[in-house]
Amino acid sequence: MSKQEPEDATAGRSDVELQHEVEQFYYREAELLDDRDLEAWLDLLTEDVEYAMPTRLIREKAAERSPFSETSFNYHEDRSTLESRVDRFGSEFAWSDDPPARTRHYVTNVRVGDPDGEELPVKSNLLLFWAQRENDDTLVSCERHDRLRRVDGDLKVARREVRLDHNVVPMKNISVFL
Amino acid sequence: MATEEDASPPETCDGPGAGPEYEMSDRARRIVEEQGRSLREEGMLPSKVFNDDGIFEAELRQIFGRHWVFVGHESEIPEPGDYAQRRIGRDPFIFVRGEDGEVRVLFDSCSHHGSKLCRAEQGNTSHFRCPYHGWTFKNTGDLAGVPLKHQAFKGLDPEEWGLHEAPRVTNYKGMVFACLREDAPDFEEYLGDFAWYLDIQLEIGKGGMEVVGEPKRWIADSDWKSGADNFAADSYHTGVTHRSALDVGFGAEEISGTAGQETHRHVTHVDAGSTSLRLLHPDDEIYYGYPNEFVDTSSLSEDQRRMAAACGAETGTIFPNLSFIHVAATDDPDDDLAGYLAFRQWQPLEAGKMQAWSWILAPADASDEYKQRAHDVGMATFAGPSGNFEQDDMAVWDGVSEAAGSVYAERHEFKLNYQMGRPGMSEAEIDEDWYGPGLGWDDNLEEGTLRTFHGNWNKAMSGEEVGMSYPEDHI
Ligand code: FES
Ligand SMILES: [Fe+2]
Repeated sequence: MSKQEPEDATAGRSDVELQHEVEQFYYREAELLDDRDLEAWLDLLTEDVEYAMPTRLIREKAAERSPFSETSFNYHEDRSTLESRVDRFGSEFAWSDDPPARTRHYVTNVRVGDPDGEELPVKSNLLLFWAQRENDDTLVSCERHDRLRRVDGDLKVARREVRLDHNVVPMKNISVFL
Repeated sequence: MATEEDASPPETCDGPGAGPEYEMSDRARRIVEEQGRSLREEGMLPSKVFNDDGIFEAELRQIFGRHWVFVGHESEIPEPGDYAQRRIGRDPFIFVRGEDGEVRVLFDSCSHHGSKLCRAEQGNTSHFRCPYHGWTFKNTGDLAGVPLKHQAFKGLDPEEWGLHEAPRVTNYKGMVFACLREDAPDFEEYLGDFAWYLDIQLEIGKGGMEVVGEPKRWIADSDWKSGADNFAADSYHTGVTHRSALDVGFGAEEISGTAGQETHRHVTHVDAGSTSLRLLHPDDEIYYGYPNEFVDTSSLSEDQRRMAAACGAETGTIFPNLSFIHVAATDDPDDDLAGYLAFRQWQPLEAGKMQAWSWILAPADASDEYKQRAHDVGMATFAGPSGNFEQDDMAVWDGVSEAAGSVYAERHEFKLNYQMGRPGMSEAEIDEDWYGPGLGWDDNLEEGTLRTFHGNWNKAMSGEEVGMSYPEDHI
């Protein structure tokens, strides 16, 4: 793998153009996830990607502590662990993925922040419809905090924190990426 | 620290444990009797027990209302004022360390009109202030303030109106358990010989074991007993249910894979528990995958040390709903295996539905780096809803409760086969040389472990004291 040279994350685009590009990037990502084309999804992540889903806690206002755990996660991945998870789904014995879950990723409220060095901080809201069998459908709501980078001209996710709105995960298993 | 001795009932209007005896419905009683008979005589289990409203209602009272239930680990609330919301069965309790340093388990309902006091999942507070009329309780449970007391509650004696405490609380080597029955046997007596196995889990880590991060929680349309029974332990399923995780390399075949190898052991009839041991050779000194510098066997007996040295994976269930897995596994097939301990609680929500809780623990004196790795390996394997092994368990158990709730299962007394290990079924035989307590088996292709759990269930539902021993409770 060739070393990924830092590139200007905005690529000189105007705010409107950049907003459009980022949204299209997320729609494309959602399509790959919903089509379960996970190998192609991995291509949207940088080589050094960090992908995390911290445990969310209900805390009092006065607690002055983040409701997101610093030590407990449901995803705490790098590229290699993500690839291994995707490998497992390729097995004919991955019961959590067979029949394949019917998912729909609805991405909204995309907020592109000011570039920070070579990275573009972006927040988005995500609503996931998930169902595998009969009568087990559920909705999962979260906010995603991303750092996007540009590699060979294309946007990629360098870091993602999936911030669930749920303290109790409303699914029997987490076998999807958000 | 609250101990067995000083967990005396609080001075309240009506001491806990004073309620009327519960009368199970005739229908539920018949199911319990049939469960006991078919388990004993045929090694079968009426599937109905996994999804029936009458059984569930009785379980809340006969099991969760009368036996020792895990509440939390003391390392979750290290500082005075630290608290966490917990459930005993479905009942709300506050697990809290008071300003006096003592750990208490308080009933989460205001002594005035019953509002819940604890509104956050975890936190730190000197007082719980009721949001309804403003009564304020210290973190010890004492009533500290009543708004407008001189006009409204002149004659009220605050000493009599503190929060109720669980009638029995014990701290067993950092694990806090509570029991809602006043005259239950002491926890040590209840746990019985299973202490020998539990002690290994809790003492093998240098400095003891400590919880890493907050518990993970998720829900499933599976009965709480499906989890307890599977961890009790079902060694037969691992090579099938978890085949994909094994193939990709999240665990070693000889540790987490196909059952029936020569060094595998099952131990049944160990009072409140049973366990499955994936043993290797003691000279391997595997100690559940911990690096040697984080292992301390000084408090263990020679036989306990011998077992731990050979153990790559152990699972077990302590009746009713606390299970554990202690295993060497990995979050990345390209990385070394690493050990972790996970406690799992199967919380009953309704018939055929549960909420799972998972705590990951690591040796307290391990480096922060190792603790985070232990967490990550746990998360990625068996100790949370995204685990590469765990995902597939939950994907199969909900089928059990769905069919169990059917009219067909009821009308045709549909029974499940729990016969493995009974005469004529498997090659597993009693291991006369087994050096631990309980009944040791010379391989793990047997289901006496699961029958031990269901035997305890029968005792509890029948109003008897829990505790399976051989040969008295041969099943
Ligand atoms: S219910 Fe708590 S103060 Fe009234
Ligand atoms: Fe399993």
